[in-house]
Amino acid sequence: MDKNSARYNVQLYIYDLSRGMARSLSPIMLGKQLDGIWHTAIVAYGDEFFFGGEGISSCSPGGTMLGPPDTVVELGETEVSEEIFMEYLSSLGESTYRGDRYRLFEHNCNTFTNEVAQFLTGMPIPSYITDLPSEVLATPFGQILRPILDSIHIAPPGGNVINGGRNI
Amino acid sequence: GGEGGAGGVQPPPSRDFQLSLEIDAGEGTIIKVTVKTPKDKEEIAIAEDSSVTQFKEEISRRFKAKQDQLVLIFAGKILKDGDSLSQHGIKDGLTVHLVIKTAQNTSTSSSTSTPAGSLHPLPFPAGGFGDLSTLAGLGMGSANFMELQQQMQRQLMSNPEMLSQLMENPLVQNMMSNPDLMRQMMVSNPQMQQLMERNPEISHMLNNPELMRQTMELARNPAMMQEMMRNQDRALSNLESIPGGYNALRRMYTDIQEPMFSAAREQFGNNPFSALGGGSESGVQPSRTENREPLPNPWGPPNASNPPESAGGGGGGPAGGTRMFNSPGMQSLLQQISENPQLMQNMLSAPYMRSMMQSLSQNPELASQVMMNNPLFAGNPQLQEQFRSQLPVFLQQMQNPEALSVMTNPRAMQALMQIQQGLQTLQTEAPGLIIPGSIPGIPSGGSAPTENPASSPSSAGTPPNVAQQQLMQQMLQMFAGGGNQTPEVRFQSQLDQLNAMGFINREANLQALIATGGDINAAIERLLGSQPS
Repeated sequence: MDKNSARYNVQLYIYDLSRGMARSLSPIMLGKQLDGIWHTAIVAYGDEFFFGGEGISSCSPGGTMLGPPDTVVELGETEVSEEIFMEYLSSLGESTYRGDRYRLFEHNCNTFTNEVAQFLTGMPIPSYITDLPSEVLATPFGQILRPILDSIHIAPPGGNVINGGRNI
Repeated sequence: GGEGGAGGVQPPPSRDFQLSLEIDAGEGTIIKVTVKTPKDKEEIAIAEDSSVTQFKEEISRRFKAKQDQLVLIFAGKILKDGDSLSQHGIKDGLTVHLVIKTAQNTSTSSSTSTPAGSLHPLPFPAGGFGDLSTLAGLGMGSANFMELQQQMQRQLMSNPEMLSQLMENPLVQNMMSNPDLMRQMMVSNPQMQQLMERNPEISHMLNNPELMRQTMELARNPAMMQEMMRNQDRALSNLESIPGGYNALRRMYTDIQEPMFSAAREQFGNNPFSALGGGSESGVQPSRTENREPLPNPWGPPNASNPPESAGGGGGGPAGGTRMFNSPGMQSLLQQISENPQLMQNMLSAPYMRSMMQSLSQNPELASQVMMNNPLFAGNPQLQEQFRSQLPVFLQQMQNPEALSVMTNPRAMQALMQIQQGLQTLQTEAPGLIIPGSIPGIPSGGSAPTENPASSPSSAGTPPNVAQQQLMQQMLQMFAGGGNQTPEVRFQSQLDQLNAMGFINREANLQALIATGGDINAAIERLLGSQPS
């Protein structure tokens, strides 16, 4: 391998939005055990990136209101430079990951993280995270609340929105 | 195509394709690789053994971009021109990521890459939902959420079914039964805060966890809430008629209730309480008047639902008396009371209530006047008659601390209800059976008065009074644990069970069983020292 290509470490930060409540209450609520309501973000180049109601945002790692992550997964290394990555993000932010494209169930922060993880490292994020929406929707409770939940945008404050189209 | 070869150098064994022997195209197995940009995705057919450069050529054609703008990434690696696809393990069906560099973007990205470039700092809203935000990640960001919250509430409130479904959900119930949480929610509403400043009693109320819990229980059960509101209205309307009482009421209402309701309404979008309460914000007098009409009369038979009985003259008298405890209003009242001891206590301990009781008992004429004036009774002279006669007794009862304690003991009330139900069943099952002493209180269950042999006092007037009294006394006795053999007999089997479980204190067992109305599990809890609420 080329020694001169820089490697950057890529991590996945996993947050439990329910602060543990899902773990204890999901059996009652949903009839199945969910260990958490997962929100994820990619951490690379010293920054944390995530997708929310405003679009793609970035902040310092662990710098959202959520605080430190519950779990950190090492996704591996990437050769992609920060420059290229940011360009990539900008493009994403203009297209499939605009703020208004956020869908709690189908196109959420974890969708974004999954895609970015694959871009950077070729590895997807753990399936228990991406399976969460379908798990919830498979329960009667999820179905009932779906209309409400669909309109929820989760956007942990503390990040700055990346707007690819604008030149600063 | 041909078999996989090292390129066009070697002539294929039996092939005439020498013309198209180019190093890159046509020789190697063609694979289809998906090239994905942030905005786009294309499937590109390329020879398996191509180099990255060749791949880029193809891509550049497809994506209309210059080759040197292309950055290809696969498995976290940047595909350099000198590499080959196979070197990176790029095979058929796999996806390669592409970023198309643009000159301007390069400079932009470097500036956007600094997070300190504070592009759009997100305001942190003071969501009214407070801690609820941690539950589902709500309220953690945009102004979006506030609207959403409104929307959600509006949706919920306008769809009662959904609301009740939601309410029944144990999670919601859980949340609502957390008084701290609810309290936080309420105090975070700026209007509530204002209100609290003006009226310290409100903050007292909010700080009283017992009360909050009770309120939350009520909120959980819309039907119960409805009943409570109506009864509250009724009680208040009765109080209105007392001299001086009206003023007190009015004060109470304007100072506390109205602002609170409107504040709560703001917060909840469309306060279910107000809807259920019959729109009492519109003004004291008119709402009271309106609310009176349909309310069930707990102190006597409902006018509308028992026209035959009330017209039944003599039969109507005792029947009316017997029905005192059976009217749906009474039932629900009892039910509420059994579930909300606080309610009863509040009601009874409220200063005006007490003084009203006092004055009423001392002045039966006044009391009867009050009752007469109450439109509930207005249409029914019969009722008035009965009530008047029963009034002194009733008032006595209310003064009687024992009676009061019975009424505040949820288990007692529960048992009371159970007894009634039992007696009622007995009535229908064995109409010929006459249980001495307990008969007058027996609900006739809406059946025709003529079928009610249990109303042994056949003539109107004093007997119902006496019978009523007897009933009350009997019940009191029963709950005092002594007197009749009934409790012990009734609970014989339970006593045995408790005994077998190791609870050998028969007295205590019995007490516990009486208090819990025969519910073994509850009795055990009692015995083990958990206090009934």
